[in-house]
Amino acid sequence: MNPFLRALALLIAVFVAAPMFIVIPMSFSSAASLTFPPPGYTLANYINFFSDPNWTEPLVNSVIIGIGTVFVTLSLAIPASFALVRHIFLGRGLFNLLIMLPMIVPTIVMALGYYMYFGQLRLVQSYLGVILAHSCIAMPMATLILTAALKGFDQSVERAAMSLGASPFTTFRLVTFPILRPAFTVAGLFAFIASFDEAVIALFISGRDKATLPRQMFNAVRQEADPTISAASSFLFLLVLAGISIWLAPQFLRRRSGFTRQPLENGATNTAPAAS
Amino acid sequence: MKQRSFSPIAEGPIPLMAPAAVFLAGLFLVPLAYVGWMSVSQPALGLQNFGRLLHSGLFASVIYQTFRTAFLVTALALLFAYPLAYAAANGSKRFATFLLTVVALSFWTSYLVRTYAWMVILGNQGPVTALLTWLGWDPAPKLLFTTFSATLAMTHALIPFMTMSLFSVMKRIDPLHVRAAESLGASPLRAFVAVYLPLSAPGIVNGCTLVFITCLGFYVMPVLLGSPRDQMIAGIIGDQIEQTLDFGLGSAISIVLLGLTLAVYALYNRFFGLDRLWAGGGR
Repeated sequence: MNPFLRALALLIAVFVAAPMFIVIPMSFSSAASLTFPPPGYTLANYINFFSDPNWTEPLVNSVIIGIGTVFVTLSLAIPASFALVRHIFLGRGLFNLLIMLPMIVPTIVMALGYYMYFGQLRLVQSYLGVILAHSCIAMPMATLILTAALKGFDQSVERAAMSLGASPFTTFRLVTFPILRPAFTVAGLFAFIASFDEAVIALFISGRDKATLPRQMFNAVRQEADPTISAASSFLFLLVLAGISIWLAPQFLRRRSGFTRQPLENGATNTAPAAS
Repeated sequence: MKQRSFSPIAEGPIPLMAPAAVFLAGLFLVPLAYVGWMSVSQPALGLQNFGRLLHSGLFASVIYQTFRTAFLVTALALLFAYPLAYAAANGSKRFATFLLTVVALSFWTSYLVRTYAWMVILGNQGPVTALLTWLGWDPAPKLLFTTFSATLAMTHALIPFMTMSLFSVMKRIDPLHVRAAESLGASPLRAFVAVYLPLSAPGIVNGCTLVFITCLGFYVMPVLLGSPRDQMIAGIIGDQIEQTLDFGLGSAISIVLLGLTLAVYALYNRFFGLDRLWAGGGR
């Protein structure tokens, strides 16, 4: 490739990555304001992030809501994707559109809808309300992942199990589930992240009681008063860094040990763009 | 496969699809329809909320600001993402892995983390202001809470989406096409413009559509980083919930935003087919 183009791509990559790294030095800053470079260094922000209930409660709430969202989303999306891939039925296209709709409708519109509707149902400021709303938001992506996996599933192994006398349930437990487990895991992970990262709906319906971490961060950024936001940001950024390192590690190890084939790579890069 | 299917988990499609259908109908469609109902029933039955919007100069300028920002961000994101995706699709394997890792890092990092990072970078006591002052621009211009800072942050946030859309198309372009053009006497630039660029067009269309739609309804970054005087449409919906508590007007604005978004999708669907938009090249 042209060296000029290579340099240009490298420069753009620096622009994409560099701004986020500033949160790491900021998280150790002793200044209460947004001063960079920091005048001094301290661990106070981290200590605060892991001890102040204003921050620990939202973190715990976010994890609880995220796990709830995973369970609701998977228990709806798994059967739905079996229906979509393995059956032809009246209204199938409409059903598919219904599942994709949460990806189409702007989140702020749904935030207003949930604020008014859940207000009537008394679901505002409750775990359940946020979990139900986040499950709707997580459905499209989870279903896309699951239907893609199901399309590549060889149904003859199920027929073989059933012809050998396995009941439908035993077939699912011993054959279908183990084969599809990676897809279930990825779909669940996407549902968790969709909930854990969601700021707009949570901002309006989680309230003070069941505030999520994104809500707390939103308010901290808006009020510019609490420097603990720097530790929260750095914590989340380091989680992403760790996740990507874990994902990349097998590729590096494989390269070291002399294998050149990387069968996972295509599938793995494809999941990211679809997350839009 | 599609005749009488051996589905191990249920006989027909109805028990499989019913839970999701009922759930989404009750917890997605109903709240959405409620927004529509509120827009024509609060404070009184009729279209007066939409009439207010139609005659409001302020709302016209919000729509203008929203579209201007969305177009600008889409164009800038394409400008940055195209070389990045091109290098990732045509460079060496190591370089491609490096670039895609950078893109993934940005993609998975929360909008709020990135918003905070921009507040530090562009703030009064931040590195950019210090650099400008050092260069002699004193007093340095106000960077934060302007249309500039919101546009910059949104562009930066959406480059990964655009890159992924472009990359998923580019990695399937056979390099032989470009080589064939060059062997027939085309200059590298001509071969790129006449052969590669048209082949990558589906990625451009997908990426631009996704980025543009995301921008139309973007809430977090414009509200936290943008100018309070030049708000975007999502921001003023938030204002109706938090400050004026005018749910009829807020609902009417939401319906307008929804209509604009659906119009963009309909346009895409008319020419390209909706199921291709999210496929990302994976299927």
